[in-house]
Order: sequence, then structure tokens, then C-alpha cells
Amino acid sequence: MTTTDAPVAPELRGSHRLTTAKAMVEAIELEMRRDPSVFYIGEDVGAYGGIFSSTTGLLDTFGPQRVIDTPISETAFIGLAIGAAVEGLRPIAELMFADFMGVCLDQIYNHMAKIHFESGGNVKVPMVLTTAVGGGYSDAAQHSQCLWGTFAHLPGMKVVIPSNPYDAKGLMTAAIRDDNPVVYMFHKGVMGLPWMAKNPRTLAEVPEGDYEVPIGKAAVAREGGDVTVVTLSLSVHHALDVAEKLDGSVSVEILDLRSLVPLDREAILASVAKTGRLVVVDEDYQSFGLSGEVAATVTDVDPGLLRAPVVRVANPDTPIPYAHALEYAILPRQDRIETAIHRVTRA
Amino acid sequence: MSDVLFPALSEKQPDSEGVLSAWFVTDGETVREDQLTAEVQVDKVSAEVPAPQAGVITLLVKEDETVVQGTPIARIT
Amino acid sequence: MTTSTDDRAPAPGRGELDSDTRLRLYRTMVLSRTFEEAVLREYHADKGPGFDIGKGLVPGEMHLSAGQEPVAAGVCAHLTVDDAVTATHRPHHFAIAHGVDLSKMAAEIFGRETGLGRGRGGHMHLFDPATHFSCSGIIAEGYPPALGQAFAFQRQGSDRIAVAVTGEGAANQGGFHESLNLAALWKLPVVFVVEDNDWAISVPRSASTAVPSNAARGAAYGIPADRVENDADAIYGVAGRAVARARAGEGPTLLEVHTLRLWGHFEGDAQGYRGDLDDAPQRDPIPAYEARLRADGLLDDVSCGEIKGQAQARVEEAIAFAKASPVPDPAGARSYVFA
Repeated sequence: MTTTDAPVAPELRGSHRLTTAKAMVEAIELEMRRDPSVFYIGEDVGAYGGIFSSTTGLLDTFGPQRVIDTPISETAFIGLAIGAAVEGLRPIAELMFADFMGVCLDQIYNHMAKIHFESGGNVKVPMVLTTAVGGGYSDAAQHSQCLWGTFAHLPGMKVVIPSNPYDAKGLMTAAIRDDNPVVYMFHKGVMGLPWMAKNPRTLAEVPEGDYEVPIGKAAVAREGGDVTVVTLSLSVHHALDVAEKLDGSVSVEILDLRSLVPLDREAILASVAKTGRLVVVDEDYQSFGLSGEVAATVTDVDPGLLRAPVVRVANPDTPIPYAHALEYAILPRQDRIETAIHRVTRA
Repeated sequence: MSDVLFPALSEKQPDSEGVLSAWFVTDGETVREDQLTAEVQVDKVSAEVPAPQAGVITLLVKEDETVVQGTPIARIT
Repeated sequence: MTTSTDDRAPAPGRGELDSDTRLRLYRTMVLSRTFEEAVLREYHADKGPGFDIGKGLVPGEMHLSAGQEPVAAGVCAHLTVDDAVTATHRPHHFAIAHGVDLSKMAAEIFGRETGLGRGRGGHMHLFDPATHFSCSGIIAEGYPPALGQAFAFQRQGSDRIAVAVTGEGAANQGGFHESLNLAALWKLPVVFVVEDNDWAISVPRSASTAVPSNAARGAAYGIPADRVENDADAIYGVAGRAVARARAGEGPTLLEVHTLRLWGHFEGDAQGYRGDLDDAPQRDPIPAYEARLRADGLLDDVSCGEIKGQAQARVEEAIAFAKASPVPDPAGARSYVFA
């Protein structure tokens, strides 16, 4: 199986520039128009438009019956979404910060993710769980986590993590149309929010009509021959920055995973087979998580593909500090990525 | 021809300055009426700026530039 | 005795129920008890020597509902199979009263491929889309999905309702409180049932709950509430009122029944902590109900024998079906994770 790039020429006819947030909202809007069973439920998703702009404008378009503000009752309203999905609706429920999973994890991993299996396939739960992840703006230990490794670790839910506007729209459409529970994790730093540090990669051309990005397929964000950087979400932007800086001296291939469940292991193997050197960049906690899974994907099949040990650039198992200098020492930013690339190519 | 103005987000202080956060169109692009052209911000409030008419847009300010609200940020001919 | 926290029209008393309804309640309770007795026998038949929980044709935990039959019978008599019921880790009486296929349920309890969940769920995870029945092994976490089913029914413009069941121990879990508030706030067509059987495993209600009854908590959420004793007629009465309220779009009601857990929390529970076991048989609701029906001329030895015989036959058929059904193929262990 090959990696899948975002197809370009035909779809871009009739396109416009959008931020990742607006692209996500556009996908939701198109699906809500197409399918009256789709509705969005969560805290501050109505008039406020979602605290990270996940639903801007939707209340005006669809009204309070379909864009629903809830009390601060994650167990109740995520559970409500599950029951509604069981009975034929297609809810999108928002967990405001992935960090809040602690207060409602039972409904997520013991109910949403398991009902289909426990019923022997007789009951479906076609819902999307959206949630904001990531740090870099001093929101500290309880509001900056990624946690996608934890969600991906628990069986029964698909997990998608777009890094850019095109994928944000396409993956949201695919997630809503999927009959399985899909956890859609959007990094605050890729949303293109005007009140966060400027990031030019958060604004891009997006086709105007509806389209899907397949769940379970990675994308080659940049082709290269000397080293494979497997990464996702905001770290794709940082890896691209480093690759551009090293252009001419190191040829860096960047694989944007886009989905963790299912994980595109073939894409990882194909790239490492080509370059022989692997750097994994993951903003989530290092130990017992995604970066180890990516390394094992290679060593489970053929450790001989590797000409050097795998280098992992991740959160070093540390709660995210508040002070800016401390936070930026913990995050897997451009400086640590560049160091890792040099280490793996000189080994 | 018409000017695209930086929206008045602060009613209390009409001279408030804001930031042009992002352009969604490029200089010289043909735009439709109501097409999203920019996003601006005054303090914590952000707003979208739709094109008041169709035509060719000329950008007058750069991204991240500070602008007094009410000032033209682009022109459409 | 019924205590209510509002001044609605009184629920029909015992004497006002018609004979057909009372006989129906009796049949349901007998069928439920007969089933539980059969499961009890099957469960313990091959766990020895001693007690190895993982052994036998029905391994794992087993939570049986003997003594709590009136709650299921009295509530479910007002439902159709289009109404939803979410039950607890002790689900069999509600499944039976709501009309879940007995053979498929037995097969699931025996972990067979012909079971409701193809053997993937087991006794605490029974799902029957045909009757909108589900249950969960996590305390109080069956309430929130019930809200969702009620929400969907409301959206779809029907008068279908959801019945959500927990125990009195669950009434101290966060999800219970969130659910009551949200259902009241959005006037969802839900009937909340609390089976107060006095014991949360080994902890009596007096040691877990700050208020004397959970019916008192209804007021905190703006929900009318009733507390009744373990009598099928009384339960039928208050349940009828609650179900009618929900169908009429008037929102949720909280029904607390002071019921009786005749056996252990789970099978294998020695119940050394219980001082009330000595007189428990005298409080068994089914013989008591039978005695009243006999006294009222609705039952005699012949009709009783028929009802019990029919229950026995149905249960035997279900157990036989389960035992004759194939065990799931291990090659399919990873199936049904995703649709």
C-alpha cells in the first residue's frame, strides 16, 4: 500500500483560502446541510462558536436545536451523544480539552468504544468526538496535553489528527460519515487562531465542495531521501521548517500520519525502507506511547531496515511547565528536531 | 470601486487599534461579493471581513500590521 | 407505602389494578425468578472443587436479581419494545420483563456464538436492538446513554421513552447527578429508576448516602420523585404515572423502589456482612404476591401450577438452546471492533 498525497489539480478548481479552524467548520456545515441527523453538542459551542473556533457561525446557520450548548457535564452529554448515535442520529460531541478526558473517560472508552464490540456488531455508534489538544502558549500542565497515544491505545475508536486545512476538512467529513466512533483531535496551534502565535502553515487552499480524506492513510508532507521524519499535527509544521532550513545539506522526508487508528504502518515501512533512518516527532508523552509504536512498527517487521537507532523527539515524560522557557524546553520544537536529524544521519 | 474597511469592533473607543491577523485573498485576486477576505482582531475580539462587492482586490496593509479601526485595508475595483 | 415529593394525582392503589394486569405481573416475576434459579444452578454446577470463578460453562462474575423482580415487572408493564431500557450489572429481570429473547440472552450468558452479542459481551453487557435494551457493568454509567436514546426519540417526534436503572449505591456517582440535571433541564422523556436493595456490595445505604432516600434528591434537580416498597402493584402505579409524564413531554421522574437483594451481590459472595439474611425469605416478594392473588381469587393451585410450569418450560428451552449452541471460534476474536 502506498502513501496518499492530497490530490491537487482537479479539486482545487473552485477553492478558497481557509484556516484549519474554518476548514473544519466548513466540513461540519456541509455535512449538517446534507444530513439532518448530524448535530453538534458541547460546552460553549453555540453563541461562542467553540473556544478554539470549532463551530464559529454554525449556531446562526442551524439554530440551537442542532448546535447545542451543554452544562459542564461531560459524562452526561458524551453519554447522551452515545445513546443518540445508537438510536440513529449522528452526533458530534466536543470534549473541550483532551485534558478533561479524566472526568468522562468511562463513557468514551468503556461505552462509546466498546458497545459495537460487546454487542457482537449488532449496535453501531456513529459519532465523532472532537477535542482540542496541544501546548506552546503557556496553558500549563492541565490544559496543554496531546494524549492521542492514550486514546489510540484503547481499542474501539478511530483517532484522526489533521495538521492542515485540507486534511482538517476532509478528515472531518470522513469522520462524520464513518459509522464508527471517531476521535477528531485538533491542535490549537494548527487552527490559525488570531489570538495565538502566527503560523503561516495554518492558512491554505481548500476545495469548496465536499470531499473526504481517507481515515487510516498517512500523507508524505515532503519527499526526501536521507531521513524519514514520522510525525503528526503541529509537529509537521516544525519538521517542515527544519527540512526547509536543511535543504541542500540533508534531504528530509516527512510523513504526516493524519490517523493513529488505523495507523498507516505500510507508509512508515515504505519510507524507512527508502531512507534507513527514522526520527519520530511526537508532542505527546514519550514513554509507553505513539513514538514507541512507530519504532516497533519497523522493528516488528525488519530491524535491518534501520542504519541507525531510531531517535525519538517527544515530551520527556514531564508535566508541561507553565514558564515559557521551561515549556519550550519540553516541547519537541524545531531545535530538537534538527538535532535529532543530525544525530540520526551522522550515526 | 469600494474600500474594504477595518471593522469597528470597539464601540466605546472608535480610535482603537487592532491587528490584521490574516489575509484570505492575495493582492490582485478577483473576489466575489461577501467572499471572506481577512480576519482582524481588536483585543480579544476577532472578526471576519467579507468583500463588500465583487471585483479585483488590492491589499493596502500587511498581515500582522496594526491598523486603526475604520481605516481602509483594501480596495476593490 | 408510597411517599411522594409532589402533589400530583395519587397513583392507583393496589385494589385498583385489574386482574389481567396483576396476573401479568405475576407471570413476569415467576419467569424472571425461574430463569435466575436456572442460571444459579448452571453457574455453580461446575466451579468446584471450592470456587474457581473462571471455571465452567458460565464463567466470570454473575449478579442475579432474585428479590428485585417487582421493579422490573412493574415498570416494564408500561413499556413497548420500542421504548429503551438501560440496565445495570444486575440486568436479567429487566431484560426479561422488557421482552428480550430468552434464548439469545441465555446463549450470551453462556458465551455462545448465538448469543445477543455473539459471546463478546457476556451477562453484564447485553445489547438487544430489537427491544432497545442495553446494560453496562459500570456503576451509574447507563444513565447518560439513556438520556441520549430519549433525546433521539424526542427528536424523531415520537412518544417513546427511555427507562434508566441504577442501584442506590450508584446514586452517589457523578454521572447520576449529571444525568438528573441534564434530563430535567432538557425535559427529556426519561424515567429514572433507583433499585434500593440496601446494599452496595457490602456497604449499607446508611454508610454511603447522606440523605435518607434518593427520592429526596429529586427535588434538588426539579424532578418529581416517588419512593415505594417492593410491591409490584405499588410499583406499577407510580411507574404508570412516570411513564405517562415522559410520554406527554413533561420530563423525567425519579422512582426509587426499596427492593430486596435475596442473594449475594455476586455469586460467590459469602455475605458475612449481612445481618438481615435470616428473615429475607419471609420478605421474598413473589410468594407474598402469590398469596395476595390467591386471597383475591385470582390464582389457585391449578393456575399457579400452569404458570410455573410454563415458566419452567421456557427457561429449560432457553438453557438447552444455549448449551447446544457453538462456542465462538478463537479465529474471530478480533472481529467486531469496528463496523
